[in-house]
Amino acid sequence: MTANHTYETNIRIPFSFIIFGLLAFFLSQILLFLSTRQLSTGEMRLPVVLSAVHLLVIGFALMTAMGAMYQLVPVVFLTPIWNESFAFIQMVVTSLGILSFSISLAFNIQMAIFSGLLLTCGIVMFLWQMFMTLKKQKKRTVITLFVGTALICLLLTIGLGLTLAYHFWSGRQLIDHDLIFKAHILLGFSGWFTLLIFGFSYKMVPMFSLAHHFSMNTARYVYIFYISGLVLTFISFITANDRLLSAGLQLMAVGYGLFAYHMFAILKKRMKKKLDKPFLFALLAIVFGVILHIAAAGFSFQSEIHSRIFSIIIYCYLFGWIVLSIIGYLYKIVPFLWWTHRYSKKIGKEAVPTLKQMINEKWIVMECCLFVASLIGMIAALASSSTGLFYLAQGGMVLFSGLFACTIGSVLLK
Amino acid sequence: MEIKAKILEKLQNVLDPELGINVVDLGLIYKIEVKDGTAFILMTLTTPGCPLHDSIAGGVKRALRDIEGIQDVNVQITWNPPWSPDRMSEKALRQLGFLS
Repeated sequence: MTANHTYETNIRIPFSFIIFGLLAFFLSQILLFLSTRQLSTGEMRLPVVLSAVHLLVIGFALMTAMGAMYQLVPVVFLTPIWNESFAFIQMVVTSLGILSFSISLAFNIQMAIFSGLLLTCGIVMFLWQMFMTLKKQKKRTVITLFVGTALICLLLTIGLGLTLAYHFWSGRQLIDHDLIFKAHILLGFSGWFTLLIFGFSYKMVPMFSLAHHFSMNTARYVYIFYISGLVLTFISFITANDRLLSAGLQLMAVGYGLFAYHMFAILKKRMKKKLDKPFLFALLAIVFGVILHIAAAGFSFQSEIHSRIFSIIIYCYLFGWIVLSIIGYLYKIVPFLWWTHRYSKKIGKEAVPTLKQMINEKWIVMECCLFVASLIGMIAALASSSTGLFYLAQGGMVLFSGLFACTIGSVLLK
Repeated sequence: MEIKAKILEKLQNVLDPELGINVVDLGLIYKIEVKDGTAFILMTLTTPGCPLHDSIAGGVKRALRDIEGIQDVNVQITWNPPWSPDRMSEKALRQLGFLS
């Protein structure tokens, strides 16, 4: 079988999402820095904190994931994007939705439902684009299963988020607010982001390490255990059953452990002995993920579960697993995108730089070390409620987000 | 110099930008044929769904255009048989750190 199709997406699409994401990341870290005093007292559900967290999770992580998907989906699934013009419109609608939603959360949470509806429109447009694209895929794989389930979880997450916004607007609860809040976090973090990272890791880990002749059998067990855990945890919220919660978190830990083992098994089959530094940081995120899943399952055995401990675990899950994975892969994706734009038509005609030469690896190592040090500092600060440590660690995060944006921006000068 | 040798020489200038190794040493070229001034290249990539699919295939076309006697270049990408690391040259294995 031969193939001569084109799978390249107009790079303006992923770039516009990624640039928005970098700015949102920087802004979210500044807002968190300004809320340090309140955060150190353990108050998490403050308007400005909610605004900063949504800027980080939706503005940075979701927008970057969308941009990366516009670039990766055509090549991973060998299916071109359904409609590129629609992608630009979706970008504008989602960006306006995120900005207005973050402002509403900070200043007038009751009105967040209206900007939330705009944001929902943008995300639903994205889901439609992906549905129409994946529908055309000729041969479905286990990666399709992970990515498809992640997209369903994203839809459920925004539905739950909209319900929360409705509660704030109407002042009455359709369903228990706490239950919706927990399910919103579970499906957003573990359903959408984790399953998406799992799915694309099955493509990117072998690709960046040049691994071949490995088995994909474990992937189906990863899926079965992780999804079973997600469903049980979700049911435990509805039934308020701690034993079910414990069982759900244990199953998720088993699923995640199998994923980590599978990645290790794939890496053992690699031809590229010296792995690139940004990729190593994406792999470090998997190690953090294993620790956090085991910790969550372990703490769930306690008769009285401290919300503070779970707050720390959720914070680490967001930064140590989701954000670090995205950062690691972004350091690889952006040079590739810019290289494609600048040098794709010159290859074979004149000497062109390698992808590694497009970005300064020394800076990446320093930045990622700063990120990890700040993360550890934030965990210590959250555990000890030390305001001084909070300022120091969150200051590190602000510095990182600025440097990260500059390093990514420097690629565009190459 | 035989035209196929010239083609192989030119293809050594087409690098996989992720690995920094040329397509010949990577063992990506399966077949070279020249008929009536058209060069037919049957090649593969290290993985199906390689993001550099279009760039590398385009690079191969451009590299062969100035060879005397070649008016057109037809590049076909195939996944059958899939690429395997055994196809790499010793030079490529050394560059990847697989051989010392």
